[in-house]
Amino acid sequence: MVRFVSRRILWGLVTLFLVVTIAFFAVNLLLPYDYAVVLGQRPRPIEQLRQQLGLNRPLWVRWLEYMWGFVRGDLGESYDGYRVTTHISAVLPATVALFAVGGVVAYLFGEWLGRLVAWSRSRVLGATSSTLSVLFFSAFPPFLVFVLLYFGRDRVFQVRSWFGLGPVGGPMPLGPVVTVLAVGLPVALIAGVGLRSWARRQQRRVLGLLAIPLGVAGLVIGLLASGLWAEAINRLLWPGAVVSAVALILIAFGETMLVMRAGVDAEMTEDYVFTARAKAVPGRLIRDRHLAPNAALPAISRLFTSIPYLLGGLVIIEAASGMPGLGSVFLGSIETGDVPVIIGIIAVIGIIGLALRIGLDAVQAVIDPRIRTDGGRP
Amino acid sequence: MITTTSSYEIAGWADTRTRIRNSKMVVTGLLLLSLFALLAFIHPVLQATIWSDSQAVYRPVTGHDPLISHPSGPSVDHLLGTDPLGRDVLSLMTYGLRPTFLVAVAVALSAGTVAMIVGTSAAFFRGRYDRVMTHVADAVVLLPPPLVFLIASKRGLLGPFELGLLYGLFAGLGSAAIVVRSRALAIMAKPFIDAARSVGGGPRWIIAHHVLPGVIPHVAVVVLASVVGALVTQGFVEYLGIFEYRYGLGNLVYNAITYQRALGTGVPWSALMAGALGISLLASAFYLISSGLRQVIDPRRSGRRA
Repeated sequence: MVRFVSRRILWGLVTLFLVVTIAFFAVNLLLPYDYAVVLGQRPRPIEQLRQQLGLNRPLWVRWLEYMWGFVRGDLGESYDGYRVTTHISAVLPATVALFAVGGVVAYLFGEWLGRLVAWSRSRVLGATSSTLSVLFFSAFPPFLVFVLLYFGRDRVFQVRSWFGLGPVGGPMPLGPVVTVLAVGLPVALIAGVGLRSWARRQQRRVLGLLAIPLGVAGLVIGLLASGLWAEAINRLLWPGAVVSAVALILIAFGETMLVMRAGVDAEMTEDYVFTARAKAVPGRLIRDRHLAPNAALPAISRLFTSIPYLLGGLVIIEAASGMPGLGSVFLGSIETGDVPVIIGIIAVIGIIGLALRIGLDAVQAVIDPRIRTDGGRP
Repeated sequence: MITTTSSYEIAGWADTRTRIRNSKMVVTGLLLLSLFALLAFIHPVLQATIWSDSQAVYRPVTGHDPLISHPSGPSVDHLLGTDPLGRDVLSLMTYGLRPTFLVAVAVALSAGTVAMIVGTSAAFFRGRYDRVMTHVADAVVLLPPPLVFLIASKRGLLGPFELGLLYGLFAGLGSAAIVVRSRALAIMAKPFIDAARSVGGGPRWIIAHHVLPGVIPHVAVVVLASVVGALVTQGFVEYLGIFEYRYGLGNLVYNAITYQRALGTGVPWSALMAGALGISLLASAFYLISSGLRQVIDPRRSGRRA
């Protein structure tokens, strides 16, 4: 097992090297001379600027230098003089928090809905849910964000007033509390999901139902204890944040739901289901304990393979809702032609995607020993 | 990485045709797609006949109806109303479908070609070439094509067609090539490949006559799926106003949202819906055809209700 994971990580590093190389050359070739725009008033002639930024050297020399920096965890210097890592680490927590919450909730919702729809065998329910999920999957994010803001802003303000918060607008302020949320929310949700599946296996229904609320309650208690509660709830109920999360969930749940539904549908005629029925196992148990785990595996791997697509969608959502995050920094850097920041953000997205995939492979190798014999080669 | 072995058998074309016709998803998708193709096609026709008035009220970008206040809801003169700048929404929308279709065609062309060549050759030749190609594909999967599209559209030098080709290159080298390779591998393991080899079939013959016919439907599925993302991304780039042209469906959404805020006119729903639903429905048409086709060529996945 250790052997498998370490090999997988080693090959992952090769992949990462390729990702950064391709990104470096693609971005430099697509945006060659725009650094002059960043420096605005052009206090010096362009040649001097290029000299100063080291852009008059051949591309492959700059690539070698960039890779040497990348190995040491340095993503280079932005054209505005700051380190790229400073730019990215300032907004990364917001994006991670949003993506984790949106992804987990979308998965849970899609998994539940797919299971339900396939099991009920109702044609109307099936047709409605498929149509809705296809429509949302291909929905135009800026429009979705606009409609959600248009109809949802007052609801959000109403909820804010329950917590004694006034209406706000504009981009959400960042701060250390966002980092706490970025770590705390995924941990709370994943702990909740883990507890739920354990409780189901132990046939403790009440605990299973309470698992995710318990995880969230743990986070709330932690925030209250550390005195960050007021700041955290203010950011969690920021209209832009709520709308971005809802938009991400709406866009992402459909794939999971369709795959899950097809999976349950296909598994329903398997012999083990027939046997379970013959033994008079209750229908709920057959669905949740026999069918769902088998059907969930393809749904999970589909979710993980579409993570780059979802991150791309998140960039669009963030830009449309005015949320600070990787997306808004990415768009701003394209606007000013800040090549190092653009490459840095693509590299970070690559690292996130790769880490999640290796994690998924490791989990699947634990579940299914056949995968391990592959030697960890992708 | 799990490689699923497909239960693919080359079935008779007649059988496939019946299954395509019976697939609700494919039929709905094709109907939607032909509706949009028709809309794109009637614009020049209407422009030359019904909309050819002297004041050019219906001209797509510069037209303006001086007789009513804007934005206006649907009426007899303007079937989809007018946008806050007083332009006919139906005319704008049908005209804006042109660059959208350009991108769709370009993505399908480049993604299909790249995925087919890379996937099939990797599965056929195996060895070191296959390993290199698989690694490249694994790396490209982690580079979201929408982001590449956004970067490339910045300078305004590339038109929708070129950007579509670029999007297709990244989509085709990445996930599409992986899918095609795994399908081609499944075919390479079939006995008829050995049979073809033993009667002296060369690589070119075997690829063209035995591997490609089995791979092409899967190419179609993954390519159509990548068109969905390309259309939404293009809409967003238009929404940001990066492109040279200002008449895309995304521009329609942007104008509807922005000018109602600036002019305080109230939301022009018909203009907003025409743009947003145009993008969404056209994208979902490709998605429906893609997933319907996947069920048709791989019936194992689509449930075995007897």
